[in-house]
Amino acid sequence: MSRPTTGRLVGRIILALAAFSAVFPVFWTTLNAFKNRVDIVTPTPLFIFTPTLDNFAYVLGRDSVFAGLVNSLLISGAAVLIGAVLGLPAAYAIARYPNRWSKDIQFFVLSLRFLPPVAVAIPLMVIWLDLGLYDTRTSMIVTYTLLTLATVIWLSVPAFARVPKEVEEAARVDGYGPFSVFFLIALPIASRSLIGAVAFAFVLVWNEFLIALMLTTSDAKTLPIVASELTQLGRDVPWGILNASVVLLSIPPLLFLGVLSGMLNSAFKRKSS
Amino acid sequence: MKTKTLLPAAFLSPALIILAVLALVPTVYAIVISFEDRELSRPDGRFVGLDNYVSLFSDRRFLNAIQVSLTWEVLTVAATLVIAIGLGILMFECASPKARNVLSLLFLMPVILPRVSAAFVWKFAFHPLYGIITYPYKAITGQPLDLLSNPVTALGTVALVDVWQWGLFFSVIVLKLLETLPPQPFEAARLDHARPWEVYAYVALPMLKAPLISLAFVKMIESLRAFDLIYVMTRGGPGISTETLDMYAFSQGFIESGRISYASSMAVLMMIATSVAFTFIWKRAKV
Repeated sequence: MSRPTTGRLVGRIILALAAFSAVFPVFWTTLNAFKNRVDIVTPTPLFIFTPTLDNFAYVLGRDSVFAGLVNSLLISGAAVLIGAVLGLPAAYAIARYPNRWSKDIQFFVLSLRFLPPVAVAIPLMVIWLDLGLYDTRTSMIVTYTLLTLATVIWLSVPAFARVPKEVEEAARVDGYGPFSVFFLIALPIASRSLIGAVAFAFVLVWNEFLIALMLTTSDAKTLPIVASELTQLGRDVPWGILNASVVLLSIPPLLFLGVLSGMLNSAFKRKSS
Repeated sequence: MKTKTLLPAAFLSPALIILAVLALVPTVYAIVISFEDRELSRPDGRFVGLDNYVSLFSDRRFLNAIQVSLTWEVLTVAATLVIAIGLGILMFECASPKARNVLSLLFLMPVILPRVSAAFVWKFAFHPLYGIITYPYKAITGQPLDLLSNPVTALGTVALVDVWQWGLFFSVIVLKLLETLPPQPFEAARLDHARPWEVYAYVALPMLKAPLISLAFVKMIESLRAFDLIYVMTRGGPGISTETLDMYAFSQGFIESGRISYASSMAVLMMIATSVAFTFIWKRAKV
């Protein structure tokens, strides 16, 4: 550890460059979102310019973007809620009441992640068309529940397993039934990691693209689809508006950065102790 | 735990029933559709047996898509792991605890971004005229550099974005894994005058073999979800040089001809291939 050599210096420079590469593209996009078109379409990249809010005003004022935002919030929110309400108890049962199928159940839940999204989206498109539910929020919520439920279960099993067994035993001795142990003891103790798991499920469906692209055409379009349509505009590209819509799309997931990083930390803490 | 309780049944069955229905119905449906000749414009299909599958194997675009997908898979998984292990070790070796925390937070950011956002951010950065990355090249040579329109460089350029997202994220995990290792083997190796790289190559990384294999496994699964990046950045082009299997299935089933059954047969083959491969790897890795 104690060799302040050139090797260390080079290492630090590489790390600084990597950190720069992680942050700069996002920073640059945000900067461009506040530029007028003339300041973006320049032969030399501009760092100093007169900022404008026109791009954001335009994006937020557009019906399609607003509708996409509402759809995204409702669909992701509802799917995450259902996923959490059904997934957390299921994860607890897997963690605390192992039976001979527990391993298989966990593998089944994980294996849902192997399914190529196209392989889910194509048949679902036909199913929702047949049921007359194509391009509705309902069909999107049901479809996304598959993703949120599996993710919540997958990430919450270890979180519940980390709750000290002794605490639950003590509660049982005090006369708590199995259900009260879950609601009053396990759920609050594991809550930090569980919030991380639920946040991860939210980010996953908020960012989801392929399924939404195939299952919606107008009414239930989510924000990523709307944003991607903006990025495919023709020759005379309104770059500022594009950057602004990308910034808008990225804000909700980035709000969870702290929560997710906390979940990562707690997931590895146990192993070291 | 000894007392009989309804809890496991009450807690497990709703979730599992819903998951099973939501996963199995589309899967069965995909297989059924793939034996028909359905099109978007014509909802009722006839049973045509294995026709779709037979024509797939004489479809050059399909064979090209397999090749692109495999290249993508190998390229992104390998590059992600190299970057992750490299940066993880560097953080472990030369960053203070405080710097590690800051770096971990920063390295987590790209992967949380919606892939549509990440794809656009980089697409614009690689823009031949206004891009910030292509700017130095343009300033020096006077020529615009259009990496995404060149069949040779397009796939690699898109892969760079994928590795930017996952390589940085996994480097945080590699760091956390290194932090869980006991310090004694490191000290012992140092006393034996092992060079730093030898300590990692012969001591630390072999101790982390199992979790690193799991990481590779997770990345293999995630690399299958490249659609968003490719869709926004190149749409499979130029030509078909970045057309992966999901991109081709999408364009067959959706954009070009609406041949749902044909696209579905592709999806079924992908499903079989990934399930078999991943189940095999998973069981192997567990042993």
